[in-house]
Amino acid sequence: MPESQPKTIRKLFIANRGEIACRTIRTCWELGIRTVVGYSDCDALSYHVKLSDEAVHLGPSPAALSYMDIAKVVDAARRTGCEAVFPGYGFLSENAEFARACRDAGLIFIGPSSEVIARMGDKIATKQTLADAGVQIIPGLPRVTSADQMVKFGKEVGWPIIIKAVAGGGGRGMHRVDSADQAKAALERAVSISQKLFGRGEVYVEKYIRGARHIEFQFIADAYGRVIHLGDRECSIQRRHQKLVEEAPSSLLDDRLRNEMGHVVVKAAKEIGYVTAGTLEFLVAPDRRYYAIEVNPRIQVEHTVTEMIVGLDIIRMMIRMAVGTPLRFRQEEIRITSHAIQCRVNAEDPKNDFAPSYGTVTYLRQVSGPFVRADSGIFQGCEIPPFYDSLISKICSVGKDRPTAIERMRRALSEFNIWGVKTTIPLLKKIMDHPDFVSGRFDTDFIDEHLAELLDYVEDEDEILKISRFIAEITALGKNPYCR
Amino acid sequence: MTIHPSKSPRENVAALRNDRRVYFTNTGPRDTGQSDYKNRHTLYDLIRLAPFYNRSGYFSIENHGGARFHQNLLQNMIDPFEEAILWKERMPDVMTQTLVRSTNLWGYRMYPRNVIRLSVKAFLPYVDVWRCFDFLNYVPNMIPIAEEVMKGGKLFQPAISFSVSEDCTDAYYRKVTDEILRISGGTESVILCIKDMAGVGSPGRIAQLTDALLQKYPDLVIQYHRHATDGLAVPALAAAARAGVKILDVTDDPFTRYYGHAPVRAVQALLQEMGIDTRLDLPGVDKAAEAITGFIGHYQEFESQFRGFSYKVTEHRMPGGAFPSSFEQAAKGGFLPLMPYILRGMSNGNRFIEYFDVTPGSQITWTTWAGIIQYHYKEGGLKQVEDLLDLCERFIARGQSLDAFRPEEKEALLGLYARATDDLKNLLLGKYGPLPFGWPADWVYQSVFGDGWREKIAKDRFEESPLAKKSDEEIGRVREELQKKIERNPTEEELVLYLQHPGAVVDFIRFRTRFGNTTVLPTGIWFDGLKAFGSEVNFETRGKPNTIKLISIGQEVDGVKHIVLSVNSTMHVFPVEMPSHKTVQKAGTRFADPTVSGQVASPIMGNVWRIGDKDRILKTGDIVKEGEEIMNIEAMKVETAVLAPGHGVIREIAVKLNEAVVEKQLLMVLEELPPEEQKRTRRSKTNKKTR
Repeated sequence: MPESQPKTIRKLFIANRGEIACRTIRTCWELGIRTVVGYSDCDALSYHVKLSDEAVHLGPSPAALSYMDIAKVVDAARRTGCEAVFPGYGFLSENAEFARACRDAGLIFIGPSSEVIARMGDKIATKQTLADAGVQIIPGLPRVTSADQMVKFGKEVGWPIIIKAVAGGGGRGMHRVDSADQAKAALERAVSISQKLFGRGEVYVEKYIRGARHIEFQFIADAYGRVIHLGDRECSIQRRHQKLVEEAPSSLLDDRLRNEMGHVVVKAAKEIGYVTAGTLEFLVAPDRRYYAIEVNPRIQVEHTVTEMIVGLDIIRMMIRMAVGTPLRFRQEEIRITSHAIQCRVNAEDPKNDFAPSYGTVTYLRQVSGPFVRADSGIFQGCEIPPFYDSLISKICSVGKDRPTAIERMRRALSEFNIWGVKTTIPLLKKIMDHPDFVSGRFDTDFIDEHLAELLDYVEDEDEILKISRFIAEITALGKNPYCR
Repeated sequence: MTIHPSKSPRENVAALRNDRRVYFTNTGPRDTGQSDYKNRHTLYDLIRLAPFYNRSGYFSIENHGGARFHQNLLQNMIDPFEEAILWKERMPDVMTQTLVRSTNLWGYRMYPRNVIRLSVKAFLPYVDVWRCFDFLNYVPNMIPIAEEVMKGGKLFQPAISFSVSEDCTDAYYRKVTDEILRISGGTESVILCIKDMAGVGSPGRIAQLTDALLQKYPDLVIQYHRHATDGLAVPALAAAARAGVKILDVTDDPFTRYYGHAPVRAVQALLQEMGIDTRLDLPGVDKAAEAITGFIGHYQEFESQFRGFSYKVTEHRMPGGAFPSSFEQAAKGGFLPLMPYILRGMSNGNRFIEYFDVTPGSQITWTTWAGIIQYHYKEGGLKQVEDLLDLCERFIARGQSLDAFRPEEKEALLGLYARATDDLKNLLLGKYGPLPFGWPADWVYQSVFGDGWREKIAKDRFEESPLAKKSDEEIGRVREELQKKIERNPTEEELVLYLQHPGAVVDFIRFRTRFGNTTVLPTGIWFDGLKAFGSEVNFETRGKPNTIKLISIGQEVDGVKHIVLSVNSTMHVFPVEMPSHKTVQKAGTRFADPTVSGQVASPIMGNVWRIGDKDRILKTGDIVKEGEEIMNIEAMKVETAVLAPGHGVIREIAVKLNEAVVEKQLLMVLEELPPEEQKRTRRSKTNKKTR
């Protein structure tokens, strides 16, 4: 495809909230692009609204009535004179209809085409596409409707197997089935949950790879068919398929395997006709065999670790690719000489089955210091609403090697101090200290297998907060009732 | 030779024996605080005395044990371990001392032997001198403590409970001392304490007893513990020293009131004039006094309701350490004016049932007589109270012979203990040990146990050691119980505390979880909080300075006041629920009790969007299977299924559909069905269908 003159964006609509909206605003400012964000009722005083140049009220707090209302978002972008829309992750980021609506409204959608999104949104179609591109995929059965099918498949490929929602994503709607007698109940449950979560009940099954690691490759594609990859990321530390810790590069891959997989990724992205940034996710078995599982047609939460080691701003590149700027880097120019780790700080209580913890952040000490990056969407005094994802902050550390990055992460986690909501920080600290994590001996079951150990911490509020609470109580009552 | 905590008990006792000087134990931090200030002294104030005590030449500082232990957990919110450790750290050159109540340790129940041993061992590193008494002078009750203390290389100080009566003769105390020395390995490594807890020993009586004991055991090192209640403490202490007592219990001058101990400077001055040398470093003593003068004003509110010495103590024998708690209870119960009558009743009671009025005996005496006097006051006013007391006194004068009285008087006397507490009944059945001077007269048993009193004595009264009959506590089970209550693994220290004071410890741990270690706060803030806008409190945590300043106090709205504090230069708003509102709140939101089976708690904060599972809506009376989904809570788009904890029938559904619930809120009450019942219910259900 011949190169054309890149379009210019003076104003960008960010169809998201929280840390990813804030992180995108920062890149826009570097590029001299003005930003507009949408916000819901409960987000009126949120950090992304404060940070952005302009903001538009979208609607009530539930996401379906604000951030996920396509007509409202497109209208807000047009009314404010934006030339482009950046979807972030979650919300409408993988919604082909939204991408189409943007295009129809004359807005540049910063991401792949709606056709690619639609195809990647259907897990069965994705697998077919990847298989056609010559990528090894996990043995599976598309469109499962009966337990008998599952039992037959399980016998063929060996138990356990895993049920996934066709419309699933972000790790939700997956159910492991260990034996034939569990099949019926698991299928019913999976269909009902898929229906509730995604509005579609179709599911499929795959062989469950024991001891597998979740490793993904970041790639960048321009509008002219040029594709490079930015290396791999290790995302095996997850709980119920929700990633908690990510790092780059993976401690499992050697250069030969990394290059081999990288070639596969680039080839697949070209065949798909992908533009901007995306991710191809693999499961890597203990025997180093790798199986592609899905393509994420959007920016990912963990893009930061790649940025930290390759020195490139992935969102900046997405914007450039989307407006038609050609990719100027060659694959050989991407050199990785350091190691980065990211920890996700979620407002949830790991000790209480990771139940969401929302409320007011009454005190906040963010992390700082050398070789550490924090992306967050919160500030002291802010409210964490119950309506959205519980991710409140991402802490990223970088070092010349993995041990150094771990040391810096431990330091950063200790520095992070938040009052008012419970977070994953104590759990993340336990992970950073766990001998199996430190030595790189883990797979995707790491958290489930070690959960009891990892939760064996005493979460204590700051002593000074507790004492202040006491003084407040005695002051309000006028005298101490405990000693009288 | 000098006394030092680092030396063995044998070396320290030898040093005392060979020293012509007289030593002092300062009881200020523990017993004086208990006797005159209701144990309310804060650790913040007391610990400031440690550096002065450390260089004042005291034999020991009594900083631990007695009622302070419980009070610390109950109202001072001080961890007894933290307190003991802090004293040990700040006072490395002087011995720390505790008071332990034989089988009752630092509590109010008799504990099994394994609990006693575990608890003693836990405190051994921080306590050098272990004063141990038994309120019946029943020496076998001291054995587990004696063994653990001596094995642990600490100084065992057995005490004889001292009183003045016809039975409390020199011969009696020599006999008790014989038994004590038998379990203590002779006189070599122990100190014998004469524990005059009520303050009733006249100078002559104490000199005589000391002499009697030293005649028999010339090498015995004796300490005299004495309360000041009768007003004769200073001369009695001096007489004891002249008779050969080596260590005297005193307190700092500004701590002295009426029920505590004699002032150290007066005793020291008198001894000096008598030609008895002491080892005190007076400037150090005075420094401590200065510090106490600076803070003692905070405690006026907690000083005794009745002030002044009372020679009548020689009759009613209420121990100094029990006065304040009795006053407090009488004031709170609104019967303070009856105090003189209760004390008069006690003077009679100790003629009917003889034991020593010290924990737990003093509690039994107090509850018995406070009960009797209040009962008669309510029934017939002061007149009836006075008549009863007159009758008791005439009864004693007639040698407790019922036959000498008219039928209605006889009836009144036999009705005296009709409402006896279980503790009194247990005492009379020997559950604490045999009484020191034999069982009381039959009429007492008749009064306490009614018609079946003879069988009761024959069947249930026993003479052997009560400890031998008490089986060991299952420590593992208790640990699990505590773990359930505090929702985390308890520390060994918490377990030791819980074994003695289960209720208080759980509340204490909850307080600490919510409010942290409040002992860093200055006493005025601890008692009353911040008063004036702009006023601030400064204190250190781990060497780091903190400043908390009061910015504003909001108006009470819907039972909540908002307090704005500047905490280390950051503003914070604290909503405080006012007590009037709290009860309403509690009635509104019910929380599940994790210790009660069948109460289903909400695992998270969220919305109840389904009661039952997708196939069945549940209602009261439905039967559920273990593991069945009985409710579903949604929060942040995540659904959490609530599963039935067991097979049972739903007795109550405590929430409504779409109700917002908080973590641990009560969702449902299940009544578990026994296996038989399950079958039966299922069958009856089927039957109904067929019909």
